[in-house]
Amino acid sequence: MTEETHIKWLERMEQDSRTKQQAFMNDIARRLKRPRTTEAPTHPYRGAPDYWQEFQWSSVERIDQFTANFQSAGGHVFRMADMDEAKAFIVNKANEMLARYILRQNVSELASLRLEEELADTRVSVWNTNLQEAWKARAAEADIGIVIADYAVAYTGSITVLSSADKGRSVSLLPTALIAIIPLERLKTRLGEVLIDFDEAGQSGLPAGIHFISGPSRSADIENDLTIGVHGPGIVFALLVG
Amino acid sequence: MKVSMFITCISDAVYPKVGEAMARLLARYGVQLEFPEVQTCCGQPAYNSGYWNEARQAALTILEAFEDSDFVIAPSGSCTGMLHHYPKLFQDDPINLAKAQNLQRKSYEFSQFMVQVLGVTDLGAVFPHKVTYHPSCHGTRILGIRDEPMQLMQNVKAMELVPLPFAEDCCGFGGTFAVKMSDISGAMVTEKSDHVLESEAEVLTGLDMGCLMNIAGNLRYRHKPVRVMHLAELLYEGVSGQ
Amino acid sequence: MSQNAAHTKSESNNVKPASVKERADLALNNDFLRKAVRFTTERLRDGKQKAANDHGHWEEWRERGRQIRLHTIAHLDYYLNLFADNARANGTHIHFAATGEEAVKIALEIAQRKQAASVVKSKSMVTEELHLNTALESIDVETIETDLGEYIIQLAGETPSHIIIPAIHKNRYQIAELLSKEAGEELLPETTILAGFVRRKLREKFLEADIGMTGCNFAIAETGSMVLFENEGNARMVTTLPKTQITLMGMERIIPSWSDLEVMATLLPRSATGQKLTVYMSGISGPRRKDDGDGPEEQHIIILDNGRSEQLGDPEFQELLNCIRCGACLNACPVYRHIGGHAYGGTYSGPIGAVLTPALNKNVDQWDDIAGASSLCGACYEACPVKIPLHDMLIYLRRRKVERGYGDKVEGLGMKGFGAIMAKSQRFSNVMKVGRIGQKLLVRDGGIPSKLGPLKGWNNYRIAPKLADESFRESWKGLQEELDKNSREMDPVIQKRMEDLLAKRKLEELEGGAGHD
Repeated sequence: MTEETHIKWLERMEQDSRTKQQAFMNDIARRLKRPRTTEAPTHPYRGAPDYWQEFQWSSVERIDQFTANFQSAGGHVFRMADMDEAKAFIVNKANEMLARYILRQNVSELASLRLEEELADTRVSVWNTNLQEAWKARAAEADIGIVIADYAVAYTGSITVLSSADKGRSVSLLPTALIAIIPLERLKTRLGEVLIDFDEAGQSGLPAGIHFISGPSRSADIENDLTIGVHGPGIVFALLVG
Repeated sequence: MKVSMFITCISDAVYPKVGEAMARLLARYGVQLEFPEVQTCCGQPAYNSGYWNEARQAALTILEAFEDSDFVIAPSGSCTGMLHHYPKLFQDDPINLAKAQNLQRKSYEFSQFMVQVLGVTDLGAVFPHKVTYHPSCHGTRILGIRDEPMQLMQNVKAMELVPLPFAEDCCGFGGTFAVKMSDISGAMVTEKSDHVLESEAEVLTGLDMGCLMNIAGNLRYRHKPVRVMHLAELLYEGVSGQ
Repeated sequence: MSQNAAHTKSESNNVKPASVKERADLALNNDFLRKAVRFTTERLRDGKQKAANDHGHWEEWRERGRQIRLHTIAHLDYYLNLFADNARANGTHIHFAATGEEAVKIALEIAQRKQAASVVKSKSMVTEELHLNTALESIDVETIETDLGEYIIQLAGETPSHIIIPAIHKNRYQIAELLSKEAGEELLPETTILAGFVRRKLREKFLEADIGMTGCNFAIAETGSMVLFENEGNARMVTTLPKTQITLMGMERIIPSWSDLEVMATLLPRSATGQKLTVYMSGISGPRRKDDGDGPEEQHIIILDNGRSEQLGDPEFQELLNCIRCGACLNACPVYRHIGGHAYGGTYSGPIGAVLTPALNKNVDQWDDIAGASSLCGACYEACPVKIPLHDMLIYLRRRKVERGYGDKVEGLGMKGFGAIMAKSQRFSNVMKVGRIGQKLLVRDGGIPSKLGPLKGWNNYRIAPKLADESFRESWKGLQEELDKNSREMDPVIQKRMEDLLAKRKLEELEGGAGHD
């Protein structure tokens, strides 16, 4: 290896990449037998069919459908009137599962649950609150991860979590069990109602990780036999609150 | 009005009774068929194997044979489907391309002609047997023939139509495929016959003698006494009491 | 160089027969394989059918999916360029590789720069196409497949036999044996025990790996994001834990927007497994943000051509680039069901593999008989969520092989004969007559059971019918006279229907319509 620093190497690779990019695009245009397209072409088929874009469920239907879909994927759904009920559920669950360690997102809704006060025998950590901590390793040790969903989709039975400094991707991924709190107003009918927000946010407005979670981790790779919890959480609770 | 019979080479050489049944059935509705003797084969074996020059030689005789016809009827979804490929053979030959497009417009598979053109679904046939139906791939998937044979069969009196398990699966004929990849084709036809036997039908019917020859040959090889006949033969037997 | 190394290594491990026919024979004689493949494909096929019916308007969605893919590919220079620019704005390092060798070189260079000891991978067909694992191992980088099925076949030293269920061909006893060797203790052949072992084992690997490597299901041009669909969570692990992430993507993976993703997310999981959505759908836009506590510090996307652009501007094959790699055509294919994925002899198997493998390789002389392994039944087209006419493409491949002089010589002569005979009805008539004389010695009980010469392939499984004593054309005169004698008047209702149809057709002809179907 030469003495070239990594940064220098990346810069050199980028120069190379930009040159090749032009060659690629010119080659595509040549093969398509037309000049380069540099203006955004009219896209008459953008997104789902028209009939679908008008499709809406009532709040009750959204709850029912989300519940049915999430459960059929092997997840558990509970309906809560308010955050106090959610708190009671979490405390109960943690005791019942003999959870030793809980990791939660660093968001105010979860802080106000004051879980650490109720759970004497369980350590509760808050994601990314101490820069010295090896947070990924902590997440891997956690029995339960707790998140607030940014969105949920009834039609597919999905929870959406967006990453940020306070909302690590690992919190919904590495613990043995996942509890996701879904404020009812975030529960949409269709996937498209969530996705459109990402189009509107545009390149500069997106987090590094957008994750749709539709039940516990699963695999049917061994003789078609369904296994739950292959890599991600094997137990997932969705708490519909509101 | 000139209504012409396209017998197809397999029915011409091996199963002339199919053509006869078709002609007799149509005569009952006052359709006087004519038979252009210059016709040969649709050219599909060559077309499918990639020998398009040779396919064109056959196609030219067919174009010539039916140039003056108002309607062309064939006892085969596959061979009729081949006529729909003719425009591809004559892309660079405007005169024959026009003829090919014309032929495509006026060609009908037997059950299509009965139902779509004549508007006849009840032929008054009586056929006191347990029958199952194999929907041949090309008729179903290229020509979209699904309802027509069903309508014709549902109106046959005393006939018990039993479902064929995995009916839409290919029988493994595929023309030269049956010879070139004989073991794969053999496995496919064996599976198809298994399904025919599973249906417990006494009679297997369909709209394509290629597929029926294939399945019949396997049933016979395995000494299984299932009678195999084209739907036109079945219907003719049903109306004539033979 | 690395490519060649990869080849020699895999070939010396696992000597494969040269032709599809020979490989298929091996598969046909493996009862477990055939049963397993049949069971799995039927399960997936039924799941897809149910999911499509439950969702409703399936044809409309298919057409929408097709149109989005057609539009994107028709403007690929615009969208791919936009994707690259936006991904760079996200902080992603974008690389372009015209060939597999270039892509491998870039990936290895990143690994070396990062002094990587290990790479954890989530399922990626592109890396299979590049034989990237062997290349990484050639520079002493441990490479671990983390999808359960991929992990199993990696331990077995094999390649995936199904695009969605890679270890479809292994039973749990074989899997227990492989995993027991890895565990250093005997594991019972029970799914939960086996999967539990893999979870623990790979958890360590995820946490200690230097590089996470993924494929890419879709890349969103307008935001420079890449989207992954999966059920296990391993792709999330791979894109969350290691410090460096490398994604390999085919240049055609692009869709314009997140709104378009709704259509793909509706079509892909339903077509692949019958799910409404995979357990995880992740959109990754660049490396971790400055204050994030996880996610890769450095993210690379290598955009690969490797024969894909050959299809652009080719009216017969351009639609091949619409493929979303769902595997529905494999599950629908009766040939695949009988021979399994390995018989196809390439990275991609089933109908899509039979077309893609030769299409990606412009050297027609290197094509084997793979395009011949199809009865052209069209089940693949019917199953395809973006309506790729694979059954037509198989014929175009066969034609190109013939046109460029690589057809089978005996078959070529046969076809010459066929063309000559079918050009003149008199010749066809004569051939039938000669055949009738010729078959006299072979006919037994109205059929031909002989397995001699050309009859062998057919008659190994069937009894051939004999030629009729009188062909239709010979009997026609008599039949016509008889029918004419007893001719009936046509029902005026039928007469009117036919005349109307004729008039309508004449009108369509003037307008240039395609016909009744």
